[in-house]
Amino acid sequence: MLSNYLTLSVILFSIGIIGVLSRKNIIVIYMSIELLLNAVNISLVAISNTLQSNEGQVIVLMIIAIAAAEAALFMALFVVLFRNKRSLDADIFNLLGEKNAS
Amino acid sequence: MLNEVLFYILSALILVSALVLISARRPIDAALSFIVTLVSIAALFALQGSSFLFATQIIIYAGAILALILFIIMFLNIQDKNLPDEPHKKRDITFSTLAVLPFTVVLISLINKSPLVDQALPYDLFGGIKDIGSVIFNDYLLVFELISILLLVSLIGAVSLAKEDKDVK
Repeated sequence: MLSNYLTLSVILFSIGIIGVLSRKNIIVIYMSIELLLNAVNISLVAISNTLQSNEGQVIVLMIIAIAAAEAALFMALFVVLFRNKRSLDADIFNLLGEKNAS
Repeated sequence: MLNEVLFYILSALILVSALVLISARRPIDAALSFIVTLVSIAALFALQGSSFLFATQIIIYAGAILALILFIIMFLNIQDKNLPDEPHKKRDITFSTLAVLPFTVVLISLINKSPLVDQALPYDLFGGIKDIGSVIFNDYLLVFELISILLLVSLIGAVSLAKEDKDVK
């Protein structure tokens, strides 16, 4: 049934949001963002199979390509951040924030 | 019937490994459980007969992106002292769960009200490379070309970000 797939997708999306909100490790935050994209992919594929229309699967292909582009940039950012601060803590990277905000 | 059983097994795998991902302390554990999530999602695509997306998910996500993540984690040589202190991790996860829960409940109840959801999935071979290719190259050619430009830009951006700046140092 379609509702099973959509419910799975919503729960996975919520788990991804929880990961983004609660963790400080930037690599785990990045993987949670990928979880969000995958949750959307599940629902798009299920809907496109139910409606017998290929357009949803084309959108999923585009999302996967964008995720690959995003991965390359994220990895470059990790290398630069780790080289400068020797840490993966998201709270340390606050150069653009206010001076006294922790 | 077999499809339903497979669906429940795969969704249990997906949810458990996603929970392990967001609660793992070391990034290598998170990456290894992310592989389980991605392969199970690919199997979910195969269960619905989307053969091309199954192959793409395995090759690009579980192959390329995960290999990149694992490579970076090993390349940076992350020690335990480099990891952030998270003394309130359980509290943070509990509070963010409470924050997200209303969204989840509302969305699931909306899904069950939709007229479409009682349809069974066809579970036949659908979405092969020929069908998807004809849709992409007939209707979505511009999007396809734009994505190739996006990939080129991100490639150049990644190289210029990560290269060592000799003049500044």
